[in-house]
Order: sequence, then structure tokens, then C-alpha cells
Amino acid sequence: MNVRETSKPDMQAAAFVARMDAGNWTLADEAELQQWLRLDIRHHGILLQTQASWIALDDPQHDMAVPEAITGRFPRMPRIGRRSLVLGGGALAASIAGAFLLTGKGTTYSTDLGEIRRVPLADGSSTAINSASQLTVILSEKRRDVHLAKGEAWFRVAKDASRPFVVEAGPVLVRAVGTAFSVRKRANGAEVIVSEGVVEGWTVGADGHRVRLTAGQRAFIGNNSAINVSDESIAAADRALAWREGFIDLAGESIEDAVSDFNRYNQRKLVLGDPALAREQVDGIFRTDDPLGFAHAVGRIFAARVEDSDPAIIRIIGPEK
Amino acid sequence: MIPDPLGALKRRTEIATWVAREVLPLEGRVRAWLNRAQVSKADADELIQEAYCRIAMLDSIDHIETPYAYFHSIVRNLLLRRLRRERVVPIEAFAEIEALHDDRPSPEQLAANKVACRTLMTIIAALPDRCRQIVQLRKIEGWSQKQIALHLGTTEKAVEKQVWLGIRLVRQAWANAEQEFDTHLATLAQRTGEGR
Repeated sequence: MNVRETSKPDMQAAAFVARMDAGNWTLADEAELQQWLRLDIRHHGILLQTQASWIALDDPQHDMAVPEAITGRFPRMPRIGRRSLVLGGGALAASIAGAFLLTGKGTTYSTDLGEIRRVPLADGSSTAINSASQLTVILSEKRRDVHLAKGEAWFRVAKDASRPFVVEAGPVLVRAVGTAFSVRKRANGAEVIVSEGVVEGWTVGADGHRVRLTAGQRAFIGNNSAINVSDESIAAADRALAWREGFIDLAGESIEDAVSDFNRYNQRKLVLGDPALAREQVDGIFRTDDPLGFAHAVGRIFAARVEDSDPAIIRIIGPEK
Repeated sequence: MIPDPLGALKRRTEIATWVAREVLPLEGRVRAWLNRAQVSKADADELIQEAYCRIAMLDSIDHIETPYAYFHSIVRNLLLRRLRRERVVPIEAFAEIEALHDDRPSPEQLAANKVACRTLMTIIAALPDRCRQIVQLRKIEGWSQKQIALHLGTTEKAVEKQVWLGIRLVRQAWANAEQEFDTHLATLAQRTGEGR
């Protein structure tokens, strides 16, 4: 039996464990170990794995009993990424309270923070209006116009070739005939995600510079007419539109982005206490109105602490170094 | 510097003991799962190591009620993250990983884990002579390294060196537990229930 090409860190970890096992661990030993651990974060894992493999030999009887101890108490942990969450209550229920105004110039719909509304339009199209948004729909003989004053909305457009459906978000225009897409108004332009069919987008005054987007594509159309298209899968487009069902669907988004996403829906804001966590990525599906659930999930995965005693703020504090 | 070297050692040993009792015996299961998800051995090693790294950074392990589920979910999330970064992976791969979700061990599988423990004893038996003698005295008889050195008429450093070798070999054995695990599972399937 040979030691097959164990890596250097493996050998070093084993040497530390052997020395700990000798039973006269000194200050100098600890200092040396700490120094080695600081060299590479992976050393922590290697050391733990090595030490545990050694300890596991201590009492095989005990170890063999472990599986029994685990059986029976296996309530599946509220694991991140489970796709069996019940369709969210709060966000959808709130939509009853949504306001709309009928004016001579069409119908205006608005949503409060955390509120998500689905509204059927008179032409057979429908719209889902995201948190803290406002839009006005004007249906006429020749065209269907939506003015997105703020926020984000998704549209499923009923086919009617004679009446183009145009969403206006500031100077950005997005036109569809029969398709489904979302527009989110930002300070410097609008973000468009296409979930079905084809849409056309451009900026007022730059009619010649248009972009044609198909299902699964996403584009940022700047107020300055700059257009940035990214190809994503239809699944990714659907994930980005999970808010329609009251969910935030994360797939490798940074914690930083996820936090700003949750803050879009909730009065109670998430605050990242540890900048090191900001770029960590997360996966999972969460209710838009459950920032605390998200915070705890991050806590579990990244060994972060969650401070939730303040009713206005949920603070995610990083792991102790 | 470090005010309390023994305190640090104690905390470290506590977590390692917990891992040895609660996680390690089922590491083979996670490896088998990774294997089914078509993750290479080298990548599996890395993922498992990263997961241990996460555990090593924990303040406390008291809040973890289902250690296996906890460990498995860390590994799974690390894997998903990695796949998404690679982007070349077909979307079905994610669906398959989702589908492999309910990974609750069956009685047969738990039995197989026990067998893996027995295999570990076999591995001790297969250590090089001098190393095996020292590991047995240390682990089975419970002697200290110092006592062993006295008994064998050698230096403590020499004993520590054999322990060092033993640790490396035993750790490799754990990492290879997956194969044994699958083999035992197959054997148990043939013997239908006899292994319980």
C-alpha cells in the first residue's frame, strides 16, 4: 500500500494532525498552523477532512451506529433550490388593493411596494405589473400604447397585426405584434426581456437604430440609444420573470444583486454587513415577500449570521474569520 | 498572537469529531451522488473539500440538526454554482440534479455505510507493518504517542512520523469509499435484505 501522489497541502495537513495527535500542542504549533491556514482558504477544508478521517478511527462501534441515529429524523431541510414552494400568498393577495385610474387618456394602473398585479386589458392582452410601478394603457383603433412611468411590467400581447402594441419607457420604445415580453424602466434606459415571439426596440430620435429581440434575449436600451443585447436561454428569461408569480428565482446571481432585488419588494430592507459576501453567488427560489427566509438561507450556506431584531432592517453579517 | 492554543485546538477537534461521527460515514454517499451527476473524481474531491471548508469556517455546529442533509446541500449548491459558471452544460443537467434531490438513505444504503466502516478496519489491516502497528496501538488500544514510543523503544518523532503516514493513507481510504460504497450496494442488492 503506497501513498499515491498526495498533494503538498494534503501532506502538510496530515503532519499537523499527527502533531496534534501527539498531545503536546504548543503555542508555536498553533501559530504555525494559523499561518498555514492563512496561506489558502482551502487549507481549512483539507485540515478538517484530514483530522476527521483520523478521529473517525477512534471508535468504530460508535461510528457504525451513526446511520441509525440519522434515520427517522430526516425532515428535509428547507433546502435552497427546492422547487416545491407554495405559490406566494402575500404579494399576490395584496394586488386586490391596487389602484387604477380611468382618465380620458387611457387607464392608469399602479402598484405599491411589494405588490404585484395581473391586469387583463380590453384587447385581450394581459399585463403583470411588478412592485412599485405605474403604467397607463391607451387602446385606440390604430394602435395600442402603454406608457410605463416607472417600474417594470410584463405583457402578453394578443395578436392584432393592424394595431401594433408599443410600450414607451421614457425615450425607449418597444414594439410587439403578438408576443410576451417585459420592460423595466431604469434611470438611464429600459431593460427588455422577451419570453415569447419577437419584439423590436429603439430610442426616440434613433429610429434607424433598432434591435430585434427573440425569445430568450434580453437587452438594455439606453436613453442615449445605445443598445446592449445578451443572449440567454428561455429558462433564464423565465427566471428573470419569476416575480409574476411572486418569486425571486436566483441562479448564480451575486448576493449583492439578490439583496437589491428583495429590497425592491419590501419595506424591511436587507443590509449586507460583510462586503466579502457581496460577490458570492446564490441559487434558489424565494418568495418576494420573504427577505428573512433568504437571509437565513444565505446564513446557512455561507456560515453567515443574521441579525433580525430591528423591524426595519435584516442584517446579514459575514462569517467570523 | 494566539492567546489560547489549547482552546483553538479544542474547538477544532470538536468540529472534526462531529464531522467524523456525523458526516464522514456518509461522505461516500455524497460522492456516489456526485458520480451519478457525472462529476469527475477530481472535481468531486474539490467540491467535497470546499464543503468541508465551509464547515470549518462555522462558529458553531450546534444549530445543524441534520448533518448529512446540511453537508449534501452545501455540496449540491457548490455543484450547481460551478455548472452555471461553465455554461456549456445542457439545461437538462440541472433538471437531473434537481431530480436527484431526495437523497434520503434507504435501509440498504445505511447498511452499506456500515460495511464501508468495516472496510476501513480492513484498510488499517492493510497499512505497512510498522505504520499499522502504531496506528493500532494508538487507535484500538488507545495509547498515547509517547507511550508507544516508550514501548517500541523509539523516539516520539519517529512515532509521529508513522502516524503522519497513517493519516494520509486513511484519508485516502475515505476518499475512495465511494467505490466500495457502490460495490457494497450491488452486493447487498443481490443478497436482498440480508445486509440489514
